[in-house]
Amino acid sequence: MNNQLRVLRAERGWSQADLAAQLQVSRQSVNAIETGRFDPSLPLAFKLARLFSTSIEQIFRDEA
Amino acid sequence: MKISLCNRHLSPLQRRTMQLFGANLALAAVLSLTTRDLFKDGHVTAQLLYFMALLPTIPVIGIITVVGRYLGRETDEFIRALVVQSLLWGLGITFAVDTYLGGLFAHPQIFRLIPILNIDLFCVSVGVAVRIQLWRNR
Repeated sequence: MNNQLRVLRAERGWSQADLAAQLQVSRQSVNAIETGRFDPSLPLAFKLARLFSTSIEQIFRDEA
Repeated sequence: MKISLCNRHLSPLQRRTMQLFGANLALAAVLSLTTRDLFKDGHVTAQLLYFMALLPTIPVIGIITVVGRYLGRETDEFIRALVVQSLLWGLGITFAVDTYLGGLFAHPQIFRLIPILNIDLFCVSVGVAVRIQLWRNR
């Protein structure tokens, strides 16, 4: 699944560690989501959307 | 929440799990080898035999409980998925090695030189798999 996480994070000047701390997950989790190796659960996706004040669809795009 | 190859970056839950995992692993080795030595003598009653054979299962149940407790309490879903994958790798390696050695030791001229303990092999395999997965996702 494609996602705009790296772009959104860069816009705010946050490091992966900063984002991880706000989400209360490991930095490796943020890295895995950004690189598309791991798709987050709905609760985590909603948490990301709330954090970036946007919708889930704006962050995650279906490749199909 | 920090996760790395270094133990000092483990969360309290992960550190506690590693301690309990290690304790059960050591207990498994001690109980398995002690029981094996006792059985070698052949001077055990049937009741003692059944009781002693049950003892090495205690740390096995302990390890499963420790892992279950960890998976139930770990809040990081990516790390949880990574641990589950590592457990599957551990199971796969244990079954493969056990099947290979089972076939090998069925031959009358091949002796059981090293007492291979499945639970120890499983724990070591899981540990190596976790390290590799963390390194891949560093």
